Amino acid sequence: MRHPIRTLAALACAGVLVAGCSGGTDNGADDPGTTADPGAGGEEITLVVATFNEFGYEDLFAEYEADNPGITVEHRKAATSNEARDNMNTRLAAGSGLADIEGIEVDWLPELMQYPDRFVDLASDEVEGRWFDWKTAAVTTDDGKLIGYGTDIGPEAVCYRADLFEAAGLPADRDEVAALLEGDWDTYFDVGRDFVASSDAAWFDSAGATWQGMANQLETPFENLDGTVIPLADNTEMKGIYDDIMAALDADLSAGNEQWSEDWTNGFQNDSFATMLCPGWMLGIIAGNAEGVEGWDIADVFPGGGGNWGGSYLTVPDQTEHPEEAKALAAWLTAPEQQIKAFEAKGTFPSQVDALSDPALTGFTHEFFNNAPAGQILANRAEAITVQPFKGPNYFAMAEIMTDALNRVDSAGTDDADSSWEKALVAFDALGLE
Amino acid sequence: MSSPMSSPMARQLVGKGAARTVRRRAVGDSRRPGWKTYLFLAIVLLISFFPFYFTVLLASSDAATIARNPIPSPIPGDNLFSNIARVISSDIKFWQALANSIIVSCVTALSVVFFATLAGFSFSKLRFRGREGLLVFVIATMAVPTQLGIVPLFIVMARLDWIGKLQAVIVPGMVTAFGVFWMTQYLREALPFELIEAARVDGASMIRTFISVALPAARPVAAMLALFTFVGSWTNFFWPFIVLGSSNPTLPVALQLLQASYFKDYSLIMAGVVVATLPLVLVFIVAGRQLVAGIMQGAVKG
Amino acid sequence: MHRLTWQQRLSRFDVKASPYLYISPFFILFAVVGLFPLAYTAWVSMHEWHLIGGQGAFVGLQNFTDVLGQPRFTVALRNTFSIFLLSSVPQVIAAIVIAYALDTNLRARTFWRMGVLLPYVVAPVAVSLIFSKLFADESGMLNALLGAVGIDGIGWHSSAFASHVAISTMVNFRWTGYNTLIFLAAMQAIPRELYEAAIVDGAARWRTFFSITIPMLRPTIIFVVITSTIGGLQIFDEPRMYDTLGLGGPDRQWMTLTMYIYELGWGTQMNFGRAAAVSWLLFLIIVAIGLVNFAITRRIASSGTKGARK
Repeated sequence: MRHPIRTLAALACAGVLVAGCSGGTDNGADDPGTTADPGAGGEEITLVVATFNEFGYEDLFAEYEADNPGITVEHRKAATSNEARDNMNTRLAAGSGLADIEGIEVDWLPELMQYPDRFVDLASDEVEGRWFDWKTAAVTTDDGKLIGYGTDIGPEAVCYRADLFEAAGLPADRDEVAALLEGDWDTYFDVGRDFVASSDAAWFDSAGATWQGMANQLETPFENLDGTVIPLADNTEMKGIYDDIMAALDADLSAGNEQWSEDWTNGFQNDSFATMLCPGWMLGIIAGNAEGVEGWDIADVFPGGGGNWGGSYLTVPDQTEHPEEAKALAAWLTAPEQQIKAFEAKGTFPSQVDALSDPALTGFTHEFFNNAPAGQILANRAEAITVQPFKGPNYFAMAEIMTDALNRVDSAGTDDADSSWEKALVAFDALGLE
Repeated sequence: MSSPMSSPMARQLVGKGAARTVRRRAVGDSRRPGWKTYLFLAIVLLISFFPFYFTVLLASSDAATIARNPIPSPIPGDNLFSNIARVISSDIKFWQALANSIIVSCVTALSVVFFATLAGFSFSKLRFRGREGLLVFVIATMAVPTQLGIVPLFIVMARLDWIGKLQAVIVPGMVTAFGVFWMTQYLREALPFELIEAARVDGASMIRTFISVALPAARPVAAMLALFTFVGSWTNFFWPFIVLGSSNPTLPVALQLLQASYFKDYSLIMAGVVVATLPLVLVFIVAGRQLVAGIMQGAVKG
Repeated sequence: MHRLTWQQRLSRFDVKASPYLYISPFFILFAVVGLFPLAYTAWVSMHEWHLIGGQGAFVGLQNFTDVLGQPRFTVALRNTFSIFLLSSVPQVIAAIVIAYALDTNLRARTFWRMGVLLPYVVAPVAVSLIFSKLFADESGMLNALLGAVGIDGIGWHSSAFASHVAISTMVNFRWTGYNTLIFLAAMQAIPRELYEAAIVDGAARWRTFFSITIPMLRPTIIFVVITSTIGGLQIFDEPRMYDTLGLGGPDRQWMTLTMYIYELGWGTQMNFGRAAAVSWLLFLIIVAIGLVNFAITRRIASSGTKGARK
């Protein structure tokens, strides 16, 4: 007669294990992933900030906690923006689990801007005019809602190997190089042709990276301002860029390494290429990958004018239990003074107008790049940005089609220019837009 | 995940004969290996050790040297311990991740063994309506692709308020179709009905019978299943990454952060591979004997 | 008296209910973490469904016909089967040969057996990190070695077939030892008398491998192949981590079906409806192949047993 009781006891245990499993398994980490706990009754609240790569905020969080008793900042970090995007999209799709403040990359915006009601309106007088207009315009909806505070931007300059330039008989001084490259993309490619004629190295690292620089100067890369898609087959501007790059590939200007691949990373140590389009955040990547290589420098010039590549925002998803506190923290983090500190910590170039004239920024020189005045150069490049490409909801999908098309010819070599373009058209049709 | 060669069914075939083997072996083994056999096996082992060696070579080097030399120097450099120290002292919460991985893997392994044996006992030895159909259903669930299930599963976890908590990783893996099927096949061969009858005649309840007869009989293959589950949950990345995130990570989730810095330092990443793999290698050295025995002599009851 | 009856009743309840109670943990758990997602996916597959935007109009089987008409689905199907064959056929052959070598009176037997199983403990993530350093097109160790002996490097990423070989190598590295031990166990179950009789009859040692070992192993081989189908057709980790972008190459040279599901659902389109449709198609393919395998297996397994008895 005790047996049934034992059976029940065993089943109860099993039930507890299946349903709860909490007892010994929760290691006491204080549930940082969820914002569902409003911290009932106390002033103690925890704000979760999700970032990826390097935002340079680690020290700032401690500073904010010290100045704001009762607030704890929990940092949730992803390695790459791809993983961060997977994570954010899953949580958006499931409708819960997002951090109080989510860092987003500018490339995700076209998709996210379709769902502005998933985010808290961050507009306020305090932040009015803090950023470049184009930076703010990208996160402002038609009816004036602001869903993100700008953190950094990626004004592009040209990084180059002075030693390889010199060996090929080109000027090597950064002002002379700037003068040499001043002009449009044809100029850039023409100088490249001269260079490769007398050097073993290629002119640039990859077709995909170069395309980024060119496409970001188009006003309507893939979609008209009213949001309608330009059929790829009719997109003469894009086809023009594609053809220009294909011509450059024919002339062996490219090192042919897909960006971020093993071969690309190794290329830095093996003198594979002489120039690279470099937004501010790329400086750290070059310095790291090319550790021990001497000769890198930065020229205050960019083909076809100015260009921006990348940059991020802080958003406050409407899932948060603490919209006001989260908004205040986001505003504080993206204030010019703090962004200057993030710049000093990790080299993320500020998107705040006032930060650009800050002596801490303009006086910044980069030792690896032959002590180039990187702060001032990038500030100049930021001022030179005039065009902001319109990126609608399908931008990301079509950009992927383009980089696939370029890589098929440039790095993989599975296709020639024509057949790769044909495949791009097929991939475009598969999207089922219209 | 996706273990192309995880093969419970093969066990079933193995089971019956293995008992015979031992008897036959005693009679005498006619096949004595020559030096060619040893040479062949040595080459096989060299191939399977090489990636480990390669990893240590890179982990003991530095980023620039690795990039410049596609073929690393065959002698390890002197940076192994400093690189490991860099991994441990970086802000990836190494110790918490290690503790989490141990908790998750141990609890999952124990629970899979317990529930799989329980269900296997029922499927193989107890009679009830719908038994065959339910077993086929269990097997069919293994064919379901899991990638898409992430969103609905996340919704379930959010409802339970488990996001960021270890049980969100543990509970979904607490009993697997693979384990249930494996145990069913195994107990069918290894647990004679007479033993169950004897226990029942003595007045033991079902659960008592299970504990005193079925659990001991399942022991050899339980070791195998436990290690199998342990390794599987130790190496799992995607779901822990989504549901736990980096603030309460398991080891693989923490290690991927090593790639977060602006450039790829392969000496650091490979040192991370070393520290993530080392605990498993240690477990393997300690328990590998049982693991091998579990595969080899699973059917021989003690 | 009354007491006894109550006890009997309890005992009968015990006998009736226990079988269901013991299997219930699996079914309860599966209902929550398996069935619900599965049903949800089926529902999604019949709608327009944006990952973030959520449910749209009901479209019936439109998502299925859409993806079936796309060249990428065919490519993914081709890659999946190619990688699956490259990773299962050589693996089974190698495992049998190694097992045959292990099935002898070896010194330090446990050492050799543990040795072949060691790669199994390395996480797929780590395996990909290691092998991507070996298989890089220009800077990889393998091509550098080939270059050193004057052979042109192989396009491990650019050529579809070479990339399948590289990915299969990662799979084989991790799983060959495990299968070796399974085959070894099966070999040890083969009665030694069969060999002895054959040798007395004058058969050479190598002949017995083909005339006795292989036929006796046939059921095991088939079973290993069947179960490998389930896992192999869902392969995701290794090809996804084969390059940094995780898309399967610019021409989708090594994009498998599960990667295609991921690209549709989480990639640039966030077309959850189509992703769900491919998910179900993959499920049906696996079940169909499983059934075919099962039918073949039953026949061969029984004939194999007969052959052994004669």
